[in-house]
Amino acid sequence: MSPPVANGTGQPLLQLSQHSLAYQGQTVLTDVTLTIATGEKVALIGESGAGKSTLLKLLRSQQPQQSAYCPQHLGLVQPLSVFHNIYMGRLNRYSCWHNLRNLIYPTAERMAEIGALAAELGIAGHLRHSVDRLSGGQQQRTALGRALYQQSPLFIGDEPVSSVDEYQADALLALINQRHSTVVVALHDQQLALKHYQRVIGLRAGRVVLDAPTDRLSSTELAAVYPQS
Amino acid sequence: MTAPARFDTTAGRYRRLSLGLALTALLALTLADIDWVNSSPWFELGRIGWGMLTPDFFGVESLASAVANTLAFALLGVAVANVTGFIFALLFRWRLVQLFCALIRAVHELFWALLFLQLFGLGTLTGLLAIAIPYTGIFARVYAEILEEADQRPAELVPVGSGWLSTFAYARIPPAFAHLKNYALYRLECGIRSSAVLGFIGLPTLGFHLETSFSQGLYSQAAALLYLFFALIASIRLWVRPWLIPLYLAMALYWLPFDGYWSVATLQQFLGYDIVPAPLRDAGVQALAEPRLWWPWLQNLLLQQALPGIVNTLVLSIIAMVACGILTLLLFPLVSTLFMPRQGRSTGHLLLVVLRSIPELILAFIILLVTGPSMLPAIIALALHNGAIIAHLIGRYSDALLLRDDASRGINRYLFEVLPRIYPQFLAFLLYRWEVIMRETAILGILGIHTLGFFIDSAFEELRFDRALLLILMTALVNMALDQLARALRRRLQLDANPQQARY
Amino acid sequence: MKKLAFLALGCLLSLSAHAATFTFTAIPDQDETLLRERFGKIANYLSQELGIDVAYVPVKSYAAAITAFRNNQVQLAWFGGLSGVQARMRVPNSEAIAQGYEDQFFKSYFIAHHSTGLVPGDTLSSELQGKTFTFGSKGSTSGRLMPEFYLRQQFDQAPETLFERVGFSGDHSRTIALVQSGAYQVGAVNYAVWERELAAGNIDTSSVSVIWETPTYPDYQWSIRGDVDATWGEGFKARVKQALLSMDDPELLASFPRQSFVEASNDDFAPVAKVARSIGLID
Repeated sequence: MSPPVANGTGQPLLQLSQHSLAYQGQTVLTDVTLTIATGEKVALIGESGAGKSTLLKLLRSQQPQQSAYCPQHLGLVQPLSVFHNIYMGRLNRYSCWHNLRNLIYPTAERMAEIGALAAELGIAGHLRHSVDRLSGGQQQRTALGRALYQQSPLFIGDEPVSSVDEYQADALLALINQRHSTVVVALHDQQLALKHYQRVIGLRAGRVVLDAPTDRLSSTELAAVYPQS
Repeated sequence: MTAPARFDTTAGRYRRLSLGLALTALLALTLADIDWVNSSPWFELGRIGWGMLTPDFFGVESLASAVANTLAFALLGVAVANVTGFIFALLFRWRLVQLFCALIRAVHELFWALLFLQLFGLGTLTGLLAIAIPYTGIFARVYAEILEEADQRPAELVPVGSGWLSTFAYARIPPAFAHLKNYALYRLECGIRSSAVLGFIGLPTLGFHLETSFSQGLYSQAAALLYLFFALIASIRLWVRPWLIPLYLAMALYWLPFDGYWSVATLQQFLGYDIVPAPLRDAGVQALAEPRLWWPWLQNLLLQQALPGIVNTLVLSIIAMVACGILTLLLFPLVSTLFMPRQGRSTGHLLLVVLRSIPELILAFIILLVTGPSMLPAIIALALHNGAIIAHLIGRYSDALLLRDDASRGINRYLFEVLPRIYPQFLAFLLYRWEVIMRETAILGILGIHTLGFFIDSAFEELRFDRALLLILMTALVNMALDQLARALRRRLQLDANPQQARY
Repeated sequence: MKKLAFLALGCLLSLSAHAATFTFTAIPDQDETLLRERFGKIANYLSQELGIDVAYVPVKSYAAAITAFRNNQVQLAWFGGLSGVQARMRVPNSEAIAQGYEDQFFKSYFIAHHSTGLVPGDTLSSELQGKTFTFGSKGSTSGRLMPEFYLRQQFDQAPETLFERVGFSGDHSRTIALVQSGAYQVGAVNYAVWERELAAGNIDTSSVSVIWETPTYPDYQWSIRGDVDATWGEGFKARVKQALLSMDDPELLASFPRQSFVEASNDDFAPVAKVARSIGLID
């Protein structure tokens, strides 16, 4: 299937129009206007503090039911196993009874499903280990696993591959794209942004300073997102 | 000339609060009834010392059953309170629940026991409720705080529509579980202490024999009982295992007879007569419309007992609290891995177990022999007991601090590395303890200090339950007010920034 | 077996299991080991005389003894003067049935530490003013009620204003220990306890001595509930009374110690009730 072009042809999924946001007297977002359509794969770039996380949260709140969200802080339950943390992606899918049962003694079916997912993420060997014993990269993959397990059409991620090496990052971003029709991801690595996404949005001090299809992006445009030094 | 730049630090706020507390305590000291008589305690102290050196483990009848009773009351009482407290913790956002919990934990276990004694006699139910009820209030508050302060982020990330119970089981309990468990274990230790102390009013626990042998001057027996008690407390972490708890509970249920005394007539008598204010008993409810009937009674009670009781209790408790704080800061390095080698720590732990396990009443009696009666023995006893408890908790907390490898040592480490890090924790503990110290001033009537507890004890002794109940309510109100004050102070200083450990 | 029954503290917890057991208690006014030994013997004696199971239940406070009596957990009790009055006020038709011969003329001692310089006299010295003072238990007749009554009578003021400080040691033995050590300067004790401790050599007479003894007053007595006949049959109360009065085993009597038991009635304690009312201990 061919992905829709930038400012694409699919149904608008997420929309902001001249949106501003202040937190404790500090302006975080100013005059943000953007539309993301179903099927788009979008990278969000900008220096830290530019408002990326805030924008992602805002976008998530527009489609809470449909989005799989992977925050920077991961939000894992440290004492629980990798299995359980990934399982939590579908707490809303199963009955309460089933959830409790799997908390105490996982069913073979769920174990198999989640085991397969964990294998794809490269953490199958830790399925039964609690998250607090894993490295940062393994924890990040667990959080990704939880988001993937949701099988939502929309993925929203805040630096979802910041703690893994380049090679793995490549594979994981490809996996994310493959499993979700619409993807919005904040990244600090410009190379990865250009490689995996058709559209790049640049934020600087809370304003959108760049919004262009990747294939028509010049290096000057890209550089304008970051402050001159 | 420019003004010198002023420091504006968090530590500065801690210092100001500490100074404020110290000044208040000094002010209280000027009002306090402190005295030191020139006594000749050596005859008695010699006997006590000799007793401590020659413990007599065979002089006490039915020692084994006293130990079993002590443990059974504690285990069951704490288990029940654990469940009910947890339920209340889930409802804790309601103000009414908060007030109710503050009320039930403001009343000392001994007073709960004295009340239930009237209803159920000297039976299992009395002991169980006397522990379970105040502990429910304590558990509710602490569990609510633990859940509130635990990592909330996982719960925010569960998919929309996951259901309350699933979210709770996966995302709310697991992050808090370790703290809930640790706290429950610590409460069990407190439960054993409470259970033993209930013996002072006649329940067949260790305190029963301890009080007997101590008041009769049978110090060798008293020493044996105390040593046994220390051993029980010090070994808790060895014999309490999560998988053994159900077994212990079953044994406790089997051991304690539940055929206690109970009758509707007693209940009616208690509710319909005993706790009705004396002037209203014969006249009935309509007498409420005629203040001249009951106002003198109430006025007398308020002016003669409640008011001086409140003043004395406040004065005593604030001095004891500050003394307790100073003691804590001196004692906690004894059990901290940051300051002490292994062997030194064992000695430190032993000292703290001893100090926090000797019932305050006995501690106060020994000090009374030396200093004579005044607020002094009460202050020393309360400070030693509670100081040892906070020092124990702060010591454990300091173990978790990660210092850089080349951190300074000795006094420099204490002042620069450790004190600033533990101080918010320490202040939070201390403010929690204020409430506990208030409750404990109740049992020191032997010193002739007219605290609220002294008057409540007198009312029970004179079988005037109407007065006892009214005074208990006053105590609860004072406790609730103090609790609010402590809470406001903590919030202003943001002492709860890292509060997982800050418990009673 | 019955002898063991009172030893096992478990029986405290299972009173109603022995509904047909005639149960009694005693105020814990002194050495409890001694109380248990003494009343264990009494339980045996009564059991033999009455032909039913009799058990003694130890309690920890005067109030607990009264409550047990009122709630019918015990049917008979060895009370002090004040506790007897308080208990019988709460149980209709209950009666004082017997007291020790000596209990008709009981008394309290005021004791003082030698550093006070107080000397024995026919009245309480006015030098008592401003001293520190300890009673025994708050509900004791000989350790609280009567001493307070005589203090008020002589000085016409409440103990709290007369003395610099007033404490409640909790029991007579502890009063002696506290005054002996000088922690409290003056105290009031049951004369019988003092005499016994003195004889046993537990008192250091170089530091504490008696400075005044009160006039006599009626004190300890056996009180019984009014409804015992309904449970154990007509005339049961009379049989209990007879059993107590005819106790002549020297060993039993020596354990109290009383030379014999004599009849008592509620009216004998009217003076105690009056005193208690006058100092506001009962309404």
